Amino acid sequence: MKTARVIIVEDEALVAMMVEDMLGDMGCEVAGSFGAVETALAWLSDHPPPDGAVLDVNIGGEMVFPVAERLRERGVPFVFATGYGDLPRAGFESVEVLAKPINAGALRMAVERFRAA
Amino acid sequence: MQELDANHSIGEAEAGLTTLIELIESLSATRTIEEVADVVRSAARRILKADGVAFVMRDKEQCWYVNEDAIGPLWKGKRFPMDQCVAGRAMMTGRVVVCPDIYADSDVPHDAYRPTFVKSLVVAPVRPRDPLAAIGVYWARPQDPSPEVLQKLQVIARATASALESGRLNDYLAASLEHGHFLLRELDHRVKNTLAIVQSLTRQTLRTTPSPDAFAEVFESRILALSHAHELLTRHAWGRPQLEEILRRALTTFSDDAAARFAISGPAVAFNAETAVSVHMTIHELLANAARHGALSTPGGHVAIDWNVDETTVPALLTLTWREQGGPSLAGPPSRRGFGSKMVHQGLARDLGGQAVLDFQPTGLVFTLRAPLSERMGLAA
Repeated sequence: MKTARVIIVEDEALVAMMVEDMLGDMGCEVAGSFGAVETALAWLSDHPPPDGAVLDVNIGGEMVFPVAERLRERGVPFVFATGYGDLPRAGFESVEVLAKPINAGALRMAVERFRAA
Repeated sequence: MQELDANHSIGEAEAGLTTLIELIESLSATRTIEEVADVVRSAARRILKADGVAFVMRDKEQCWYVNEDAIGPLWKGKRFPMDQCVAGRAMMTGRVVVCPDIYADSDVPHDAYRPTFVKSLVVAPVRPRDPLAAIGVYWARPQDPSPEVLQKLQVIARATASALESGRLNDYLAASLEHGHFLLRELDHRVKNTLAIVQSLTRQTLRTTPSPDAFAEVFESRILALSHAHELLTRHAWGRPQLEEILRRALTTFSDDAAARFAISGPAVAFNAETAVSVHMTIHELLANAARHGALSTPGGHVAIDWNVDETTVPALLTLTWREQGGPSLAGPPSRRGFGSKMVHQGLARDLGGQAVLDFQPTGLVFTLRAPLSERMGLAA
């Protein structure tokens, strides 16, 4: 089984730490964990594309969509993880949404898809 | 005895009464100020046989000409200072203003009337005790309004007052309902986010405690710290709590003699709601560590917490130092990195886009945080 390199964009440090642990337990390598849209974009522009991404939607008042856009351009699969039930997701309606608190089973299935892609 | 058909033909005097009743019925169906203005302007002109009617609202210190129905343009959409307009005078005094010949009356601002057809007028305030609107009635020739016209205008004004009040109530109810829905959605989000934090605390505590008893003790203290953080946020209505407040709230739970154990100094720095929770949890972990292994584990130990903001850099930079002294001497960094040090390194520092250093000096732990000011953390006014 190949090791999936996954990045996380999440502004709540405690939640990010948990997702990092969960991904680690599932045999993923957390290639980057970012608390701001800007730092995630900067990382993406000078690193090889990861195998997948877990994106919170509202990052300290900023929408994560520029990161989602960049990932889609590079063909990287990703999921949203959000506590908002009804955030607008213009252009990303087909992307899977993991609810918060995060169901580890649902995250595992997302990771399987990252590996398959 | 005479019985009349409900649709019995009526004379001219009753015809006026019927239109008045119809006006009142139409007003009772209105829900907004615009609808009220629309009903009043056309019905009043017909009932009072006037050449023009204007519906004027009071908007703080201004008269706002909301709508009109007239043989020529009046002042629709315009605003005038209350004290420079006849409608304003009617609203300020709460009395009906009658002017049989405006150009013979020096109290009328003639310049405003010259572009119009108006030669005589009557203006009635709506709700005389605390006027919120006025109805202006205009004629193209000088004339004394009949007592009947004045009476009917006052009936119209009273019907308008009750329509406006129920309309306002309706607006108010609609606005508060909408606000209630907004708060519910926001609450739903915050509860889920907080549950995600609790989920994280559960997993992190589980993997770093050796026994169920140890888990229960550590987990409960973390949940309590989270609860204190929320208490502080509620007090600020999810606004921006300050560092010193967060510190004092956290310290009192660890030590009865906080004043003797802690020395705190620094400028007023405030955090947004999410970051405030991270700050609180980080301080909790530092305190818990100090109570188990550091300065708070011995009677004479104390902690100096100070911070400053360097505004000569762009963005300005916060440096915070937590320095423990008087505790047992330390042999160096602990062999195992627990949740606390992870929270300190990857938690708050990550949130703020800064860096944290834990230095296990022999005299005690020194924690240093350097982070740029941002939307999440700023100098408080």
